[in-house]
Amino acid sequence: MKRLPPTGGAPLLGIALGTATVVVASAALLPVRTHVTRATPALVLVLGVVVAGVVGGSVGAALVALVAAAAYNLVFIPPFWTFKVNVADDWVALAVFLVVALAMGLLVAGQAERRRAAEAREAELRALYDHLRAMAEEREQLAEEATRAQVLERVDEQRAALLRSVSHDLRTPLASIRAVASDLRDGTAYDEETRTELLETVCDEAERLDRIVANLLSLSRIEAGALTPDRQAVALDELVTDRVRRLGGLFRQARVQVDIPPDLPLVDGDYTQLDQVVTNLLENAARHAPPASLVRVSAEERNGMVELRVSDEGIGVPDWERRRIFEAFRKGEGSRSSGVGLAICKAIVEAHGGTIDVDRTPGGGATFVVCLPMREVRTP
Amino acid sequence: MTRVLVIDDEPALLRAVSAALKARDYDVATVGTGQAAIDAIALTPPDVVVLDLGLPDLDGIEVCRRVREWSDVPIVVLSAEGSEERKVLALDQGADDYVTKPFSTAELLARIRVALRHRKHVASPEDDAVLRVGDIEVDLARHVVEVGGRKVELTPKEFAFLALLARWPGRVLTHRTILQEVWGPEYGSESQYLRVYASQLRKKLDDDPVHPRLVTEPGVGYRLVDPAAEAPD
Repeated sequence: MKRLPPTGGAPLLGIALGTATVVVASAALLPVRTHVTRATPALVLVLGVVVAGVVGGSVGAALVALVAAAAYNLVFIPPFWTFKVNVADDWVALAVFLVVALAMGLLVAGQAERRRAAEAREAELRALYDHLRAMAEEREQLAEEATRAQVLERVDEQRAALLRSVSHDLRTPLASIRAVASDLRDGTAYDEETRTELLETVCDEAERLDRIVANLLSLSRIEAGALTPDRQAVALDELVTDRVRRLGGLFRQARVQVDIPPDLPLVDGDYTQLDQVVTNLLENAARHAPPASLVRVSAEERNGMVELRVSDEGIGVPDWERRRIFEAFRKGEGSRSSGVGLAICKAIVEAHGGTIDVDRTPGGGATFVVCLPMREVRTP
Repeated sequence: MTRVLVIDDEPALLRAVSAALKARDYDVATVGTGQAAIDAIALTPPDVVVLDLGLPDLDGIEVCRRVREWSDVPIVVLSAEGSEERKVLALDQGADDYVTKPFSTAELLARIRVALRHRKHVASPEDDAVLRVGDIEVDLARHVVEVGGRKVELTPKEFAFLALLARWPGRVLTHRTILQEVWGPEYGSESQYLRVYASQLRKKLDDDPVHPRLVTEPGVGYRLVDPAAEAPD
């Protein structure tokens, strides 16, 4: 940064201007010099010194004070046009003029210099401030770029995670289907019961594939911001009963109990989307339910909303994971799922203006609580 | 009755595999976690173990490692496609072979049979003078290889490579194992050598690319099979 030179104004310009003022003032007062007192020209001539002091600094002021004193003597102290002084009074006047002019000039010059110094400091500070601001802006820009890079990296990571979990998720049911299908094709002799069980496995796993594909489609809709519910009146008891029946294959180990009163208010929602929420929650419960345990689905009206609860008696969700399990690709500890199901539930429920949360099942396990808006009851 | 322990956390896959094994008169036990697997192997030692690498509690590779500390039971691992590194790691930690998911039951059964055969082979350690894999005959004493009665000229390294694979017919040997056995213990990562030797061997054996005797397991290693005996996929 450029440092400004020490103050002092422009001495030559100050001397020139001051001298010019002295000359002009002397010329102006020349016609009336006999009609005015000694004080008048002295006061006017000091103006020149002041000008020199302001513009040219102390050196200029001192020089112009001498010039002014000379002019005072030549023009206004008789005998005129000589440097002679006859009267003692005039000597005093001249001496006092010189002293006052010098004092005045130096004072004014000092003031001007201080002002210039202050201005210089201000300018310096402003330059420093500008520099700092430029640096801060640059840093901000760099930080912004870094954030952008981080976001891109995170998106890349998420995509990679999606691909990994999708391929794993799709392959898992495929592995069972292929194992059974190849075995049956090779003509392995099974008794009727085993054969039926194997074919049921194939059907169950094919349905599971179908659910995974449905979740992937929802995920792409969520990513595209196209998850607008097509609202209609949904009877949750019918939806849940139908879904539990269809998911029968999932509950070979655990028992399902549906506890929804038939007079439950209708939900204002998209049937297909809500069906997917229920499917994902039931699948999640089935996955975590220990053998011979109970998965319970209940619903009731609460605070003007319909509250649906799906609870299992599994290991439950630790407190620190409660919020995170609704993030995509976040699996619970030891979970076999890809972790998109609950993220989709959350997106759908929130698109409906509802809430989803996970709680503890009394006695152990996880209870998912979904609040959904009620359909306005229209009276005919 | 041969006892098989199948470890997988997918109930559907357990049902499919155990049905297929029971239909072939295997005695089948199934568990869903790594810890349960270790306990089961310790309590009632099976003749062969089928182990999924993606278990909820313990990593399958860790299960391999722990079991190998006190047991020689043959282990066939089940692994997802595209995870060659994990397959190699599992083989290095003591697994005998692997099958990639999704697999056909015939493929899994073939691997189980190979693993069981090798365990018997180890039990009777007398070195055969002549190794036979399909129509390949490797005469270790005379350093002669014949394919379908036709004598094949091999360099010493090619012979050692083929003899090593022939000693373990049907079983995958990792790049590292082959390099260390044939080239020496200071080798281990020079798998490009193997590609060159495998390609020369295939030429000399007159391998059919569709039904090769010398099978490449990409990213993992090689195995020598009898194409006529390999069950169709």
